[in-house]
Formats: sequence, C-alpha cells, structure tokens
Amino acid sequence: MRRKRTLARTLMTLTLSLTLIAGCSAGENAGSGNNASAGNNAGAGEASARSKTSLTYASAKDINDMNPHLYTGSMPAQGIVYESLVENTKEGIKPLLAESWDISADGKTYTFHLRQGVTFHDGEPFNAEAVKANFEAVLANGEKHAWIKLSTKIASVEAKDEYTVVLTLTDTYYPALVELSMTRPFVFISPKDFKEGGTKDGVNGFHGTGPYKLTKHEPEQHAVFEANESYWGGAPTIKTITSKVLPAGETTFLALQKGEVDFVFTDDRGADSIDIGAMNQLVESGDYQLVRSEPMNTKMIVANTSKEGNPAAETAVREAIWHAIDREAISEAIFAGTEKPADRLFSENVNYADVELSKREYDLERAKTLLDEAGWTLGAGDPVRKKNGAELAMKLYYDSNSSSQKTQAEFIQSTLSELGAKLELIGEESSSIASRRASGDYDLLFNQTWGLAYDPQSTITAFTTASSYLHATSGIEQAEELYQKIDEVMVSTDGEARKALYADIMRIVHDEAVFIPLTNGSVTVVAPAELKGIAFKQTQFELPFERMGY
Amino acid sequence: MAPYIARRLLLTVPLLIVVSFVTFLLIRLSPMDPAEVVLQAQETPQITEELLAQTREELGMNDPFLLQYANWLMSCFRLDFGESYVSGQPVWSLIGPAFANTLSLTLISSVFIIVLSTLLGVVSALREGSLADKSTRGLSFFLTAIPSYGLASVLIWLLAVKLDWLPTSGMDSAASFVLPVAVIAVNYVGIYFRTVRSSVLSNKNEEYVLYARASGLSERAVTMRILRNSLQVAVAIFGMSIPIILGSTVVIENVFAWPGLGRLSVKAILSRDFPIIQAYVLIVAVAFVVINTVSDIVNAAINPKLRSERA
Amino acid sequence: MSLWNQLSKDKWAVASMSVIGVILLAGVLAPWIAPNDPYAVQMRLRFASPSWEYWLGNDHLGRCILSRIIYGIRHSILWVLAALAASVLIGALIGFAAGYFRGRTDAVLMRICDVMLSFPGYVMMLAIVGILGPGLENILLAFIVMKWAWFARVIRTSVMQYAEMDYVRFAKAVGIRHRTILIRHMLPAALPDIAVIASGSICSMILQVSGLSFLSLGIQAPYAEWGMMLNEARAVMFSRPELMLAPGLAIVISVMAFNFLADSIQVALDPKLRTKSARRRTKEAENKAYEYVRG
Repeated sequence: MRRKRTLARTLMTLTLSLTLIAGCSAGENAGSGNNASAGNNAGAGEASARSKTSLTYASAKDINDMNPHLYTGSMPAQGIVYESLVENTKEGIKPLLAESWDISADGKTYTFHLRQGVTFHDGEPFNAEAVKANFEAVLANGEKHAWIKLSTKIASVEAKDEYTVVLTLTDTYYPALVELSMTRPFVFISPKDFKEGGTKDGVNGFHGTGPYKLTKHEPEQHAVFEANESYWGGAPTIKTITSKVLPAGETTFLALQKGEVDFVFTDDRGADSIDIGAMNQLVESGDYQLVRSEPMNTKMIVANTSKEGNPAAETAVREAIWHAIDREAISEAIFAGTEKPADRLFSENVNYADVELSKREYDLERAKTLLDEAGWTLGAGDPVRKKNGAELAMKLYYDSNSSSQKTQAEFIQSTLSELGAKLELIGEESSSIASRRASGDYDLLFNQTWGLAYDPQSTITAFTTASSYLHATSGIEQAEELYQKIDEVMVSTDGEARKALYADIMRIVHDEAVFIPLTNGSVTVVAPAELKGIAFKQTQFELPFERMGY
Repeated sequence: MAPYIARRLLLTVPLLIVVSFVTFLLIRLSPMDPAEVVLQAQETPQITEELLAQTREELGMNDPFLLQYANWLMSCFRLDFGESYVSGQPVWSLIGPAFANTLSLTLISSVFIIVLSTLLGVVSALREGSLADKSTRGLSFFLTAIPSYGLASVLIWLLAVKLDWLPTSGMDSAASFVLPVAVIAVNYVGIYFRTVRSSVLSNKNEEYVLYARASGLSERAVTMRILRNSLQVAVAIFGMSIPIILGSTVVIENVFAWPGLGRLSVKAILSRDFPIIQAYVLIVAVAFVVINTVSDIVNAAINPKLRSERA
Repeated sequence: MSLWNQLSKDKWAVASMSVIGVILLAGVLAPWIAPNDPYAVQMRLRFASPSWEYWLGNDHLGRCILSRIIYGIRHSILWVLAALAASVLIGALIGFAAGYFRGRTDAVLMRICDVMLSFPGYVMMLAIVGILGPGLENILLAFIVMKWAWFARVIRTSVMQYAEMDYVRFAKAVGIRHRTILIRHMLPAALPDIAVIASGSICSMILQVSGLSFLSLGIQAPYAEWGMMLNEARAVMFSRPELMLAPGLAIVISVMAFNFLADSIQVALDPKLRTKSARRRTKEAENKAYEYVRG
C-alpha cells in the first residue's frame, strides 16, 4: 500500500507538472525564438552528421503505385526512377536515353539513336526492343493517355537494330519531342516487370534506368530510394532519398524542426505542405534554406462550363467571379508577396502567349453589374441572388493538403457572399479532385497550369481531353471552333500560322473566363542550409535530386 | 462456464451477421451511384448511360439485393474487400497492416490506462475527500476536457522538438509509441479512473464490509477485500476500453502520422475511396463485437454472478 | 424535484451550471452581443493583435476572433445539445415502448439497440461522414443515429421497474390511457437516469465535434466552430501561439463545466445517499462512464 501511494503521488505530480508545462509553453513560446532554435540546431546538426549523403523529404501522399505508365504514382518519385528518351531544358530538347535523333522532312518519322550500355535497375539491357515494348505497353492503354496527343498519333514503333528506334507518326506533330520528354507515360521500365506482356494491369517491379532505384516501400509510411551506382550519367552524390508520408502542416513542420525530415517541396498537385510563415521561420533558424524556382505555372480556379445547373456555366457569372477576386490581397497577405498576381491563364513569358488580352480588374461594382445584367438579381432581404428561382450557389473544391488553397477559398467565398453569390467549400484529397475534373462532377475547382515544359501546348491539348479540361471548355459557345483550332495548331508546320492560332485559342478561353487565374506559382524547396546544387527542371513535377550534394 | 460461453457465442453470431449487413447497407445508402463513383475514380472521360449500365452489371448491382449481400459477404471472408479506387491496390493489402498498427497502439494504451486508472481510482477512493482525491478528480476533469490534438501538439513540441527526447511522428521505433500512448492514456484515464473510484466507493459501503469490520478483521484485510472486488471493474474496463480506443484513435493517428486505420480511413473519406471506408467500418465493428464477447466471457469467468444475469 | 435540490446544494454543480448557463445564453444572443460580424473578412487585419475594436485580435482572414468564439457556441454547443435532445427523445420513445409493452416489441427493439451499440461511435460517425460527405449536420445526424440506443436501453430498464409498481398497475387496471401513464408516472421516474447519461455524453460529443473539425470532416467554412478555430490556429501555433488560447480555453472550460455537472448529478444519485431500492437503477447509470467515451 505504501508503495502504491508513493507511485500514485509521483504520477499525480507528473501529470500536474505536465499540465503546468503545457500551460506555460504556449505563452513562453512567443518570446523564446532563440531557445527553440537552439534545440533545433542540435537536432539538425545530428541529422546532417549522420546523413551527409542522404535526404528525407516529407510528403502528404504516399508514392503510391510507381507504374510509370499509369497516373496514380507520385511524379517526383517516378522522375528519379524512370527516364525518357529526351529531356526538356531551358535551352530546348536535349538527349537523355536517346543520344541523338533524326526527323524526316515531312516531320512524321523520328529515328532515335539510343545511348549504349544503359541497363535497367534489374540488370536488363536498355535497347531498341525495350523501347518498343514500352511504347506498345503505353499504346495498349490508349484511352488513359489521350491527354497526351502524341499517343493518338503513333503509327508504329520499330526496332531497326539494337540501338535504333524508328517512330512513325500519322501526322506531323510539332510537340512530339516535348511530349516524349514528359515524366509519364513515355518513360521506360524493364520489360521483365511487365505483367502479361503489358503494364496496364500493373507491373511486377519498378525497375527504371534513372539515377535512383526504389529499394523499400512501406505503404503510407515511407519509401527509400538508393543511388544507382551504375547510372550512365555517373552515380549521384546523395546516396539515399527517403520519402516520408506526413500530414501537411504542423506535423511536417515539427518533423523539420527536429530534423527527422530535412526537405520539403511543392508537390505535384501544387500544394506546399507548410505555409510561407513556417518556411520563413525555418530559414530564420539557420538550419534551412528556402529556394524558389522562377514562376512556373498559373494557379487558377477552373469553372465547369458544361455542367447543367452550375451557375458558373454562364460566362457572366465566371466574369463576375474573376472581377471579385482581389489578387493583390491574395499575393500580399496569403503568399507574403512570394507569388505574384496573375491576370491571364498563360503569362506573357510563356511561348506563344504574348497576346493582347483585356485585363479584368478587381472590381466589385463591375461584378455586380455583370450579375444583374445576366438576370441574377438580389431580392429584397435575400442574401443570395436568384435567377428563375435557382440560387447563385456553387461548390468550390480545394486540395485539403494545401492550407493556402483553403485560405484563398475562404477569402473568395467571403467576397462573393457580399455580391450575393454563395460558395460552398469542399476540401478533398488531390486524387479526388482529379477524378472530379475528369468526370465533370464539380462547379469550380482549384488547379494550376502544367508548367513551363507543358505550357501552352499540353495544357491547351488538355482542353480537349476529357480527363483534363474538356468539361471546363465544352460548355462555351465557341467550343467547336476552339477544338478545331487546337487540332490545327498541333499539326501546323508554319510558325506564323501557329502563333495566330494560339492567339485565337487563348483569346477564346480568356474572353469566356473559363480559367480564372489567381497567382503565378513556383516550386519551393526547403532544404538543409548546407545542401548545394538545388536546381529545378522545366517541369514542376520533378526535382533533379541527382545534381544535389553537400 | 461452458454453457455460458456457448450461449454467449450463439448471441454473437447473429449480431455479426447483422453488423455486416448494416455495413453493406451503409454504402448502398450513399447518395452517389456506386457505378458512377467507380467510373469517376478510374478517371473515365465520358460517363455515358451505357457505360453506367455496363459497370452496374460488372459490379453485380443488377442481382437481387440479398444475393449481392451474400456475394459481398463471401468475398469478405476471403479478405477480398475489392480494390482501392485511388491506388488500385487490394483493400486488404492497405487495411491489414494498418489494422495491426492500430491494434498495437490500442493494446499498449489500454495497458497503461488500466494500470493508471486502477491505481489512481483506488487511491483516491480510499482517501476519499482528501486533498489528493479532490485534486486528482479536478485534474481528471481538466485533462479529459483538453482536445486530444491540442494536447498532442503541445507534447510533441515540448518532448520531441524542444527536449529532443522522442520522435515527433511516425512509427519507426519503440520510442514512437510514447507520445501517442501518453495522449490516449491521459484522455481515458480521466474517465476510467472515476469508474474505478466509484466502484471502490460503493464497495466500501456494501454490507460485507460492515460484517468484515464487525467480525474484527483488520483494516488492512478489509481494504484488500474491497480491492479484490474492485479489480473486477478494472477487468471490465479493460474489455470495454480496447474496442473503444480502437475506434477513436482517428485523431491521434492523424496528428502523429501513425500508419493505422484512423489515418487510412480519413484519407479514404477525403478521397471518396468507398471500398476502404466500407472495409474499415466492417473490420472495426467486427473487432468491437468480438472483443466485447471475449471480455464478457472473461468477466463471467471471474465473476460467476454475471453468468446467470447477463445471458 | 429532488435531483434539483441536491444539485443546488453542491457548490461545484451550481458553479458549473452557471458557467453553462452563461455560455448557452451567449450562444443564443450571439447576434446581439458579438461586437463584430464574425464573417467579415479583412485581409489587412490578418493576424492582427487584440485591439479595442477586436478584443481577441483577428484570425487568418482578419475576422474578429471574439465574435467567432461567441457565434461558435451555436455550432460547438447548441447544435450538439439539440442533437442530444433529439436522441433522448427518440431513445425515450423507443425505450418507453419497449419497457411498457414488453414482449415482441421489446425483443425487436432491443435487438436493434444491440446492433446499434455494436458500432463504435467514432467509426459510425466516420462511416456517415464518409458516405454523406463532411459537414456538421452529418456529424449531428451520426450522433442521433448512435446515441438513441443508449437512452432507449436505460429508459427501458427504469420503465420496467416502475411498470410493476402498484400505482401503475392500478392505473392500467382502471383504464387510464397509455400515454397518460407514461407521461404522468414513468417520465419523471426515468429523468434522473436520462440526466446522468445525457450530461456524461455531452462532453464527449463536444470533443468529437471539434476532433472531426480538426480532421476537416466537420463544419465547413465560413461558419465558426471552436474545433475548426483551434485547428486554424494550430497552423500558426509556432509563430502566433496566442491564437490557440481563445478557442482552446472555450473548449476546455465548457467541457469541464459539463464534466463537473455530470459528476454532480451522479453524486446526487449516488447509492450511498439513497435507499437500497434505488440502487439497481444507479447501477445502470454507472454504465454512463463507459458510454461517455463510446461516443
């Protein structure tokens, strides 16, 4: 009994002191920045000592199915395991697995001379047969890849000899090389991993040719990538990359402070797992650096023009929403100036996008007038506008892992409610938002253009593919004209004609206010202060980890 | 004892069937057409009526309702819960390991809860009205009133980041258990300790205590008797707390990035991954029923009086 | 009412009831006492410190925190109480029916209760939210679906005890209508038990609502709810920890108040203070502690 009593007393004291600490800590924390960072230094110092050659990044999502010919896997992870024939760089298309290529005069035949001596991670040789097998595996699942026009234009793939592949197209298609450079689907997995001669029903392994190989995967926990020591481009300096699944926000922030993860970056759906304030705080501690790419894409709200009963299917409503968004405030308050307001779908520096477009200012009066003229009127005492008995109410879907999207959504919701428009906000995982986009089950949703390597041609091609923006564009009056021009522009061979067509296309979607721009987004990396070689690719979906080192 | 167990098990089987039926029904009650959800999840470009009809046929949705249920139930027995809409992986390959992780967290937490709440309950009951008793009760009200995620944040910040004793999240080592277990324990000890306390208190006023005192037993011996009887309550709590904690680790798992059922299910809800939601509900509900049955049997074994009463 | 008398002698009970009363009143009168519009977004006041106009400062959208706390009472407490009341009502109806009519009705209703009780609270709630989508109304629906079975069970037990009492038998014999018997005699008898369970479960319900908001499965923007406010503050807990204070305290204080009240009610019905015949009933009420966490 005696002992029990002491134990009980100890326990009580313990709990009591915990509470006291808990109570104090909140207040103490504000002033004790120094103190906190001292703790951090210890953590991060230890981390760097043990991991001079490793990186652990936090991600809100698991790497998922790494099959490079399907779309559920994490793109940054696929990007370091698999490679494409060519690479899209700032200076244009460069060799990757193909050392050189010839294009026939009619632009329909591409002959690729493959890099020799490359092997897949399982030791299989990378050769013309492997390329052919992979192309065929992709084409066997055509519907999934319709968004990438090239997949609909391949007439044949022939292995001419061990290291020569001939790709024949049905039409001249100017973005062919750009599309071959993308993270997926035209990348190569060892044919030994194929299931039943293909990849569309899954694969038996994930052996690519890239600088890293997947060595361990605990679903929903972590995945480990080890350097490919026999990588044709030389073994990377960072030997181990671990992808750790952590919920966005404080959990990730705390893990960074402690040094359990030491790297975060904007994910492939454009969400940052910690907000600007938290990033700055980490940088101030001295353990981390923040590197931001040049603007890569345009963050936007996509309206579903083809959904019946969606008020935003009406041009005037979309225009009104456009006018009702205070982009300056979003840029300044939510992004602390790190992202600039965007007035158009493609900013002027994107290829072919230097087009004169009317600017829609933040103007609530204009928005009201637009709505009034369109017949959405506000009855006396009504909070919501109505037209023919239907309320001006819409659902806006945002990525639940992105705190900035939520804040923007709330901000826009409040401005719209002043106008008499009701916005219901629904946060979901990005996969669910992607499937809504594909099936058209949305009124409005957050999205982003696909980034430098993809803009404008792939993003514009995506206007016509159902899995992307078909539902967003098919409801507008000039839809037929738009699609026709898109088809034309992709096969055009004349530079001037192409320019004119792109200008028309951009003007149509701008005038119809289908894609309501918010800010120009970039890829942000928070990394250990001593990490060098942090660079970006021409795509927001991959990071060149192989070039980094301490 | 054997007849009691038999009777108890006989009650459990129909209950399990009904529970599974309700789970099956739940998904059917969804305002969304399952065929449409499947097609959406596959990012099917154009959902046409024919495609819907075809998918319904493939999903067996045109079969008689009971046949659908029977088919579903049979596949559940084979641990075939279908495939995740999001990742395309078999549901069991995701939910199986998650269940194990949640169960280990639950069992370890339960042990701490039992030990702590029994100790605190007995001590404050025996010293009823003392300062220790009063402050423990007050503290328990306070601790149970703190939202667990708030408490978790503070503990992570303090013990993991600031003092650098423990990992902030994940399930990588034994040390990973400390914080989640602590938070769960704090929340539940506050509740169960009061149960133990009131049980000891009511025992104190039972007639047998009076008789014992009257017949000259030492105070120490009387106390031991009270304790022995009160321990039955502790055992009962143990049985009850496991399934409850199993179902309510959701918040904790999300704060600590614990790769368990709670995290999986919340992700599934936010990505409308219905096969996972359905399997989650079924598995936890079945675990709940099974553990309750086992604990009833154990309780009956300890306390023969219950055998006749409860059956 | 003896319960009332008991409680009014207990200073903790009085204190907690006053706290609860003030909170409820503030919630009901929110439009009149909130200093500002809780939904007015002002980006330039983002994370502003307390001022004369905004006593508790402003949140991530520059909204008045104090006003949001006051309006939050409605979603965090009042609606939860309403859901509780609804489940008590349903539970009471079914419990009375089962206990009073016995036989087949009783057997069927009680088996349904058993099934409902086989689903752990959180799981059922996640299931309903998973199917119908996130939102406070779906959580409240889940509460009602889950809770009524508890009340039905307890009420049935007390009804069965009283149904055998002489005056009830007499009433039946002289042909007084069922409804009158139920309302006049049985309802008052079951009230203490209802009070114990209801006050016990309110705490877990408040915490669960806030927990689900934390998982972003709860109330949707722009409505104010304490759990969501706490979650929003948690996002900046390292740069502006003071923001966690107001919603955190609001939750802790109200849950503690309900905790103390629940405990006082239980003490008021404590077997030690009552005659032996009343003890059986209290045994049933002891389940409250378990039910409490079942959700």
